[in-house]
Amino acid sequence: MSSKSRWANEDDPETEAILAQRKREKEEKRRAKAEKQRQLEEQQQQQQQQQQQHQQSTSNYTDAPPPSKRRRLSNDHSPSHQPQPSKPNPDRPEENNHLLALPTSEWGPCRHVDNFERLNHIEEGSYGFVSRARNITTGEIVALKKLKLEPNSPEGFPVTGLREIQTLFESRHQNIIELREVVMGTKMDEVYLVMPFLEHDLKTLLDDMREPFLPSETKTLLLQIISGLDFLHGQWIMHRDLKTSNLLLNNRGEIKIADFGMARYFGDPPPPKLTQLVVTLWYRSPELLLGADKYGPEIDMWSIGCIFGELLGKEPLLQGKNEVDQVSKIFALTGPPTSQTWPDFRSLPNAKSLRLPPSSSPATTPATPPLLPRGKFPYLTNEGLRLLSSLLALNPTSRPSAKQCLAHPYFREDPRPKPKEMFPTFPSKAGQEKRRRRETPEAPKRGQEAPKLDFASVFGGAPAAGDGAEAGAGFTLRLG
Amino acid sequence: MATPASSGLKFLSNALATPEQLSTSSSSIDGVTPDLEASIRFAGALLTQAAGVLLRLSQDIIAQAIVTFTRFWIGAEGGSLRIYNVKDVSAASLYLTAKLSFQPTSPRSVLNVYGFLLSKQASPLWCINPDPYLESSSSSSTSSEHPPPNPETYILTEGEYQTRRAVLMRTEAIVLRTLGFNTHVALPHTISLTYLQTLGVAAPGVARRVFGHLNAALLSPQLLYVTHQPNALAVAAIYLAAREEGVKLVGSEWWEVFDVDREELGFLVVAMRSMEGFAERELRVWKGKGVPMTVEEVEEEIERRRKGVEEEVNGG
Repeated sequence: MSSKSRWANEDDPETEAILAQRKREKEEKRRAKAEKQRQLEEQQQQQQQQQQQHQQSTSNYTDAPPPSKRRRLSNDHSPSHQPQPSKPNPDRPEENNHLLALPTSEWGPCRHVDNFERLNHIEEGSYGFVSRARNITTGEIVALKKLKLEPNSPEGFPVTGLREIQTLFESRHQNIIELREVVMGTKMDEVYLVMPFLEHDLKTLLDDMREPFLPSETKTLLLQIISGLDFLHGQWIMHRDLKTSNLLLNNRGEIKIADFGMARYFGDPPPPKLTQLVVTLWYRSPELLLGADKYGPEIDMWSIGCIFGELLGKEPLLQGKNEVDQVSKIFALTGPPTSQTWPDFRSLPNAKSLRLPPSSSPATTPATPPLLPRGKFPYLTNEGLRLLSSLLALNPTSRPSAKQCLAHPYFREDPRPKPKEMFPTFPSKAGQEKRRRRETPEAPKRGQEAPKLDFASVFGGAPAAGDGAEAGAGFTLRLG
Repeated sequence: MATPASSGLKFLSNALATPEQLSTSSSSIDGVTPDLEASIRFAGALLTQAAGVLLRLSQDIIAQAIVTFTRFWIGAEGGSLRIYNVKDVSAASLYLTAKLSFQPTSPRSVLNVYGFLLSKQASPLWCINPDPYLESSSSSSTSSEHPPPNPETYILTEGEYQTRRAVLMRTEAIVLRTLGFNTHVALPHTISLTYLQTLGVAAPGVARRVFGHLNAALLSPQLLYVTHQPNALAVAAIYLAAREEGVKLVGSEWWEVFDVDREELGFLVVAMRSMEGFAERELRVWKGKGVPMTVEEVEEEIERRRKGVEEEVNGG
């Protein structure tokens, strides 16, 4: 019997005593808790009554409903008044169900821009001027983006601006820039977006770096961008202007998607007659270039592919001089579309003028997009090349979704993504110095006519060779 | 601020009015009595609904526009009925909402429709057309006594169009500023269909009744869409509709599955049931007079009421 464990012996008086003691303590605790809960409830009721009386005295509009129970927003409530996290209540077990409180916000009129002191100009994008500013009351440094509004626009407040504000307000995610509030100037057409100030944009940073990011850093950046985009697509929002200059980076290794000037809601089926003039030329997908007016979030995935390539090579991957040149540069990298890889491309409006070279091996081309030439990306692993090739698939339906990308083995293999905390820091150009502006094409302007493009020369007269040499020099966006 | 579990649910939830915003309104500060304010807001919502139907906008756009319209008047910092014309705010809310939707509409269409609906001679709305026989004119027996209205009473000349377009644009900017550009409105309609399916209710009568209650609640003087989240509205409408249609739902407290507690449900059910009585009362009070739709008409009504009180005092 001596071999029997002392802990298993339930008759042991000592253990029993300890257990009884514990039970007593627990009981006492529970009682104290219940008592506290009761007191709290009483207090709450009292306050609620007071509040109701107060409300009735201020307004004799008796129809006004009492404020909803789960929202205590006014300042005169004590913190103890916050809704209690559902504690197990032994007296009323049916109330233990945890009810999810939906996120609730409020609205109020726009504040005046004079609440901010402007410090320095950061940049002028296609949709507005951005400056660094200080919140006068809190001292916090923010970025102020002034929306470009035409004073007598026939449509009233521009729909792009409205969409930018609405989509940003709805996108609360760690990898998407947070729109704090919208402030206005004295005149009705002065509208500013207040956003946190981030030290860098990816474009300027890449320009100033001698070497591209390390593979582990590239993965950290790419993962963050894609998870932000995954959130956006989950909210039925297309960004439609993803590029390195719209990706902001702070000194804590966090990257955020910004500039929603082109963003809009999409649906399933997609809304009809979407404008094809979206996304900055170098990041624009082939279906857009070929004139598709029905498209979906896949266009953002193509841009991600371009950004991935740019992170690897430090230079924009496909620097076309115009739409036609862009298409030829794309085909030079990926190979021309075939009826196997992209069955529908012939039905796109601008594809009619496209004369493809006699296809080399029509029979053996697999249905999955072919891998990009290895020589272009010498330091990329096989998994990395597979991911990049699928993102830059000509056929939009072959591109992976943001969610699929996040699960890609490329992000699991060594070298692992570098922890954000270990990310290197850089001196901030936007902080004080005037930044060097490089020639990059701008996002297309809304309301422009989509050009009728003649792609006859893509594989004909002008060979798509010699890129790199003229990159960035004397760039003009030829339209029509 | 949102818990992780609910952070992705922002598109299913709405900005709600604070207790302060509910206790005072800009109009009440300016001396508009609460009952007059409620009547005008109700008529404005009716006008928005009618205009949306004539513009062939889908009901979700119309409903969002009515919520935006309702939000505009709430709180001390909201719009005042003695400063802004109800008709302009209604038109701007509808135009703005449609612009952001998949079915944008042109300023000209909006202004044409409002020109028609606001014509005292041609409007089919009892809250605008003071003709006391408006309802009966639709029946065939009396139609000969009521010839179709003269189009000249509602046609919009080019000059008027330009002026009204400028007003529409200005009002749009004012609405945006007053709401702090918070144009997002989540609706309970689609949510209620999902809930009905979850509850295994297949009767189409119930679904129709649910939508009826949800659309009626848009006009509620108790401002249900700015005080309750869409999931609660959906649950209350389902509860009420199932009762009225005699469809039995699961026995347990099913509303808790949809994150609504008994107290909120009870309040909403009572509020939704009171809608019919409210609408009938409004019709009785205002039929043959027309509800004020402009600042001038509001001033006249306030003046008229003041005189009425004085006469009563003098007479008594």
